[in-house]
Amino acid sequence: MKGFRALLKKDVWLMAAGKFFPMSLVFLILYTLYVNFGYVRFMEEPIYQVYLYDPQGTQGDASRLLHRVDSLEEMDAALLHDANAVGIDASTGEAQLILYGRTEEIDRHRADYALSLLEPSGSERAKVIGSNTPEQKARKEITCELLFFEIAAVGFLGIAAILFKEKSMGVIRVHAVLPIQKNLFLLSKLLLFLLCDLIFALLLTLLGVGVRDAVSLLPQVLLQTALLSLIMALTGLVCALLLKDFRQFTLAYLVIAIFAATPVFLVANTAVKLDWIRFHPFYHIYMGLKNAYFEMQEANIGYYLGCLAGIAVLFAAARYMFGREMRREG
Amino acid sequence: MKMINVKDLTFSYKKGKQALHGLNFTVNDGEIFGFLGPNGSGKSTTQKILTGILKGHGGEVSLFGQDIAGVHTQEFFQKIGVLFEFPYLYANLSAVDNLNYFSSFYPRNQLRNVDELLDELEFKKDFLKKPVSSYSKGMRQRVSMARALLSNPKLLFLDEPTSGLDPSGAVLFRRIIEEERKKGTTVFLTTHNMQDADLLCDRVAFIAGGNIVALDTPGHLKEQNSSQSILVSYLYRGKRKERTMELSEMEGGVRFPHDEILSIHSGEPTLEDVFIQYTGRGLSE
Repeated sequence: MKGFRALLKKDVWLMAAGKFFPMSLVFLILYTLYVNFGYVRFMEEPIYQVYLYDPQGTQGDASRLLHRVDSLEEMDAALLHDANAVGIDASTGEAQLILYGRTEEIDRHRADYALSLLEPSGSERAKVIGSNTPEQKARKEITCELLFFEIAAVGFLGIAAILFKEKSMGVIRVHAVLPIQKNLFLLSKLLLFLLCDLIFALLLTLLGVGVRDAVSLLPQVLLQTALLSLIMALTGLVCALLLKDFRQFTLAYLVIAIFAATPVFLVANTAVKLDWIRFHPFYHIYMGLKNAYFEMQEANIGYYLGCLAGIAVLFAAARYMFGREMRREG
Repeated sequence: MKMINVKDLTFSYKKGKQALHGLNFTVNDGEIFGFLGPNGSGKSTTQKILTGILKGHGGEVSLFGQDIAGVHTQEFFQKIGVLFEFPYLYANLSAVDNLNYFSSFYPRNQLRNVDELLDELEFKKDFLKKPVSSYSKGMRQRVSMARALLSNPKLLFLDEPTSGLDPSGAVLFRRIIEEERKKGTTVFLTTHNMQDADLLCDRVAFIAGGNIVALDTPGHLKEQNSSQSILVSYLYRGKRKERTMELSEMEGGVRFPHDEILSIHSGEPTLEDVFIQYTGRGLSE
């Protein structure tokens, strides 16, 4: 225990010397400001306005959310002013939609919404899939994305930078002849980065989502953060032990950031569809975190077994590389 | 008691690339044993096997009277000290912080006092709290030596201990190694510095191409490979002359005509000369 405490103390010192703690604090402040004063505000989109021209009064059950106009000219002027709006011409007794075209998916969405307002009490009810307000939804979405980015990119870089420093000083070789279990050298780093990531996740969730909403989702968020943190920290350790210098690592970092994270963000947050994404491990980890934020976590033994197997394989690889580094000539 | 016992030691890094070809040697308790050879001869490989860094060797190796397979436990590492060829230290920590960190892995009752140890190694006091990155190579080597001695090891592995030191530093290190011998510490000294080996070692082994080609005391090795001749410089009738003689010729004194003997050189080979005789190549090659 005494030796492990010394390793922890040394790693805390290395993290402090590498400005890890102030950097994390700066990121936390930036993310919090962005969530509260940036993203939530500019993502606050007003609902589509729908204008109805119905001179014969054929749409008696129409919703009060519709804006009735007295002429087609008036409707044209309204649509010209608000290109997102949808017009319904019911002058012939049959509803005809008028809208400025955007993407096919959005056009369909706008059309469905406009038609639903004609029959608000109709049998085709939308399925309720969550009780989040648009602001809550936006907060959870962006907090999840920022947390994933922080752990996957920044944390991964942090642990690798520390190990590269020790590698360049040659001190890893000294630990080969010290009376400690060699695994502890890796475990102390993993434990510290895990703790830092959990504290970061806790604070970011409280500040981004809000204390009231955060309480119920925190246990799952912290569990998913722990899994992601261990996987990324171990990946960082393996890369740092495998690669010769920080320049080579930068390349690996770009590969991981571009080819691993980008498709996951695209599929999870945009209309982009990639069939092969289900084979991408980061997609499942990201969705695990996102589901935790939206409290949609379903017990999936396969997912957890996959994560644990990944952690075990990465730890074995890190141990092997660590042994190789200890044997390396000076 | 045999501190190290090595029998038919073999090792290969890759298939078909054998680094050690059946080494046989023993190191007695309290002995300073020199392992001499040029770069790539197998010195470091042997030391790494003995310190448990390299696994998968062939043959029999025992340390502290125990087979090496089960010996590399935490208790074993508490009993050894290792000085690497390069001074591996945390560059942003001071000498004292480095030594305090490394000492935290050993039982407290076994540790030497850090300040006293650095004082013994004539470490400049002004630098005690300064980061290692501001030290000269010699100062770093002193801190590394302090790290190796910190736990009062029973078996000390020293790899090129005087490398990077000025002549007075080298003399100091040799004195410290001598003091370790007096305390009963066994020293396994890996070097290609002939002077260190000659002055410090009870016995030396010459290793070349993964084979031990000679093993004996430095004195015996030099005697056995000596030409047994001496060179006498003298003055005779105002002229300076030189004469090479067999050692046996000197038994009855200087019998040739001379006015004054100026010098007598034994012509004994150096350890490096002996090494070249055995291996056909120099130690620094």
